[in-house]
Amino acid sequence: MTWEASVGLESEVAQLRRGDPNALSALLMRYQNRLYRYLLRMVHEQAEAEDLFQQTWVRVAERIAQFDVRRNFEPWLFALARNLAIDHLRRVRPSSLDEPIGGAESDITVGDRLASSHRPVLDGILERERAGQLASALETLSVSYREVLTLRFEEEMKLEEIAEVLAIPLSTVKARLRRALEKMRETLESRYPDEDWKALN
Amino acid sequence: MAPKLDSHEKIYELLALAAAGALTPEEELLVARHRETCKKCSAEMERWRVLTGGLQRLPTPQPRAAVVERARAQAEARLTEEIEHRWQRAVIIFLVLYAWILTVVTWPIFRLITAGLLTRFGPGFNHSWFLFAAFTILVWATGGVAAVLLGRHRQQGRRMA
Repeated sequence: MTWEASVGLESEVAQLRRGDPNALSALLMRYQNRLYRYLLRMVHEQAEAEDLFQQTWVRVAERIAQFDVRRNFEPWLFALARNLAIDHLRRVRPSSLDEPIGGAESDITVGDRLASSHRPVLDGILERERAGQLASALETLSVSYREVLTLRFEEEMKLEEIAEVLAIPLSTVKARLRRALEKMRETLESRYPDEDWKALN
Repeated sequence: MAPKLDSHEKIYELLALAAAGALTPEEELLVARHRETCKKCSAEMERWRVLTGGLQRLPTPQPRAAVVERARAQAEARLTEEIEHRWQRAVIIFLVLYAWILTVVTWPIFRLITAGLLTRFGPGFNHSWFLFAAFTILVWATGGVAAVLLGRHRQQGRRMA
């Protein structure tokens, strides 16, 4: 985030704390796409994501007085959204919150498995198709992997910010990120065994 | 024996995080140095980069305008309620302080005025604490009734608006 953007954000948050509805509109405008994308990645369903999107902004209005101005607004906002999404999933689809087989501490990496099997890796996909395949593969991952990937690569958050959103230690964020990438690659390779992504890089 | 930090196996394990930009500067340096001489790790790193680059370029779904507008309206309404609650809390705190000050300040005046009347209860009647409690209840009950009436008046005003 640029210096100007950061100052603008701080000023909007300060105004919102004082109860200025214009600041609420400005923040909503600033984060609407990113927040919606994050929620959609979390719950998959458009209607559910839209509902959670609205709930998140209502929650912002309720809790903004308790927000500590020394902290970053962005992780705070995404943490609010995440809590609502997790509560929602727990109610509606509790099985979706189950951890996948093989925890973050697993020592066997996809790289190891690939090296041992000598399979060709991710061959020949068109750019357009690749995005669809990636999005589809992302959907098959568990919530904990999906959220860490979307926060890192789509929201472009720092690892420290991700740790704040997920309320976990930095080392766990790293382990989860690595495991999520491996799982993603594993999924892509099993679905599209003859594709080569390297050719498109 | 555990492999060295700059061994091929260790570096190979770090490649996914390297492509994700999640390594410490020291680890990044180790990976960069190793890749200069290791073709296998260089190729593997490129594959991870394709994956992470693809994730960064995923299309961004946008919320419908009606959804954004509804969210804005709901959040603004909630914000207004919150501001009103905050204001009401501040007013209540002020009123409680004011009522106590008023009670304590007006107590001597009350005693002065009613001193003659109290003798009618009997020549030895001097239950100061009982009287003070009764006086306090009277003052606060009056204040409470006034607050309720004002609150209703305000609610009516809002409904009219």
